[in-house]
Amino acid sequence: MPGTSELIRARRRQSLRRNLTAYAFLAPALAMFVLFLAWPVVMLFIQSFQTGGVMGPAKFVGLANWRQIFSDDLVRQTIFNTLFYAAMAIPAVFIIAMVLALCLNAIRIGHTPIKTILYFPTLQPILIAALMFTFVLHQDFGILNILMRAITGEPVNFLGNASLAMPTIAMVEVWKGAGFWTMLFLAGIQGLPRDLFHAAELDGAGPLRRFFELTLPLLKPTFFFSVVFATIVNLQVFDSVFVLTDGGPANATATTAWYIYRSLFSFNEPGYGATLSFILVLVVLALTIVQSFWFREK
Amino acid sequence: MTKGLFRRRNAVSLQPTRSMTTIAYGILLIGVLISLTPFFYILSTSLKETRSLFSYPPEWIPSTLFWGNYAKLLQETEFVRWTFNTLFVGVVVTALKLVLDAMAAYALAKLDFFGKRAMTGTLLLAVAVPVAALIIPLFFIVRSMGLINTWWALILPALANPLGIFMLRSFIVSLPDDLGHSARLDGASEWRVFTQIILPLIKPGLVVHAIYTFMLQYTSFLWPLVAIQTESRQVLTVGISGLKANFVVDWGLISAASLLATIPITLLFIFLQRFFLAQNLSGALKG
Repeated sequence: MPGTSELIRARRRQSLRRNLTAYAFLAPALAMFVLFLAWPVVMLFIQSFQTGGVMGPAKFVGLANWRQIFSDDLVRQTIFNTLFYAAMAIPAVFIIAMVLALCLNAIRIGHTPIKTILYFPTLQPILIAALMFTFVLHQDFGILNILMRAITGEPVNFLGNASLAMPTIAMVEVWKGAGFWTMLFLAGIQGLPRDLFHAAELDGAGPLRRFFELTLPLLKPTFFFSVVFATIVNLQVFDSVFVLTDGGPANATATTAWYIYRSLFSFNEPGYGATLSFILVLVVLALTIVQSFWFREK
Repeated sequence: MTKGLFRRRNAVSLQPTRSMTTIAYGILLIGVLISLTPFFYILSTSLKETRSLFSYPPEWIPSTLFWGNYAKLLQETEFVRWTFNTLFVGVVVTALKLVLDAMAAYALAKLDFFGKRAMTGTLLLAVAVPVAALIIPLFFIVRSMGLINTWWALILPALANPLGIFMLRSFIVSLPDDLGHSARLDGASEWRVFTQIILPLIKPGLVVHAIYTFMLQYTSFLWPLVAIQTESRQVLTVGISGLKANFVVDWGLISAASLLATIPITLLFIFLQRFFLAQNLSGALKG
């Protein structure tokens, strides 16, 4: 029957048109995505088998980078430092932001000015926040040390002390990040169904019980986004380290991102840096996937 | 139970006793103080001569205002240039990314095409790729294009991250499909549906996207540090960090620079405050 085949042909034409239209809409964004995100990830893998390349062509070295990286103490330390940092900064900023969000939710007057002020640190580039904190931490004129001298008589060398330096970096990041998470949590809390809380209260549930058994579980979607986003961002910590300690003292604040940067610009070893970068990509992707399954199941 | 109990706007915790409210204000006051103190302290520092910084006890409010730090910053460094570069690149990136992401978001939200599921999954996964891990290959790619030390080196890689696509998609998905159907029956092209019907309806989403993109660009540091080596083409963050690299650190100069650097983004915030509050961002990763 000629009619059916014509119909099929017309349908095919239509489907082709539909696909072409859709891909025309996608093309510009996809081109940028492929060129500056997907291809660099592939290149990381290729570069992990190479050495050199900054001056002159890169050379193939097989598994040398991979073998070296698993016996490199500094690499091990940067990974430990980065995880140590994230394990301090993420819970700290979440708890502080949650407390601030609950407080904001409990007050009636002064909402807007307080929110505005709490958001100021979040607006600043982390680099500027870190530079500002040199004026908080400096041994001679840092405001925190002026306070310390008034209380204990002794200034504290926050950034020069190997066991204090990383917590101090985390403190700077928490100061900068708290406002962002406060607003996010506050929006989550204010979006919760109020009837449930009325019912819970009529049943005699106190504020703590309401918080742990209603607020927290109901905020799961917000927490999912928060945990994933915070993990991705915090495992790349670089700016504050670069400006405050440059990895020191004694590599105590050498993070993975810092080592990647140094391997290109100081150690002239892009292949080695690419290997470490590739591992970082894999770790972050794996964590993200695990987190999404974990949140979806519960 | 009194009626006033249920009157409170947005209340979750229902019966805020007076003591709870007092505690809440107390905690918020501490938060406000901690947020603001560094700003006031660098303001005070920037108006003092650097050597008076080391006197103890400190002079909180300088008795005579010293403008030398600002004069030096504006005359002897390229601060104005860096500010212009940052704003220029920020505006270009924001404009381009808005167009690219909105188009892609429309296709992902409302059009059918081959490989849609796989593409959505790939792009969603790519949101999680840490940019800091890509600086080495990006450096080589941009260098092979001959773009190191140019504005394009800052603009193009900034367009790659697909997070913005999902942010806008979450706005477009919630629009009813019928909107486009009737226009298409009247012979409107997909492009017209997109520009005349969809875009006007997602204006709040576009503003949030633009602010987020601009902020991300304004605060970026690592990639400009890698891609730009000429001081006069540098952005604000990297330029200011370079002030610290001198042998004798000029703290007055750095405090003045840090304070001035907070102004553009703070102004933007004051004008567009209601769009800044991040709730819309979290919608992006849910779907």
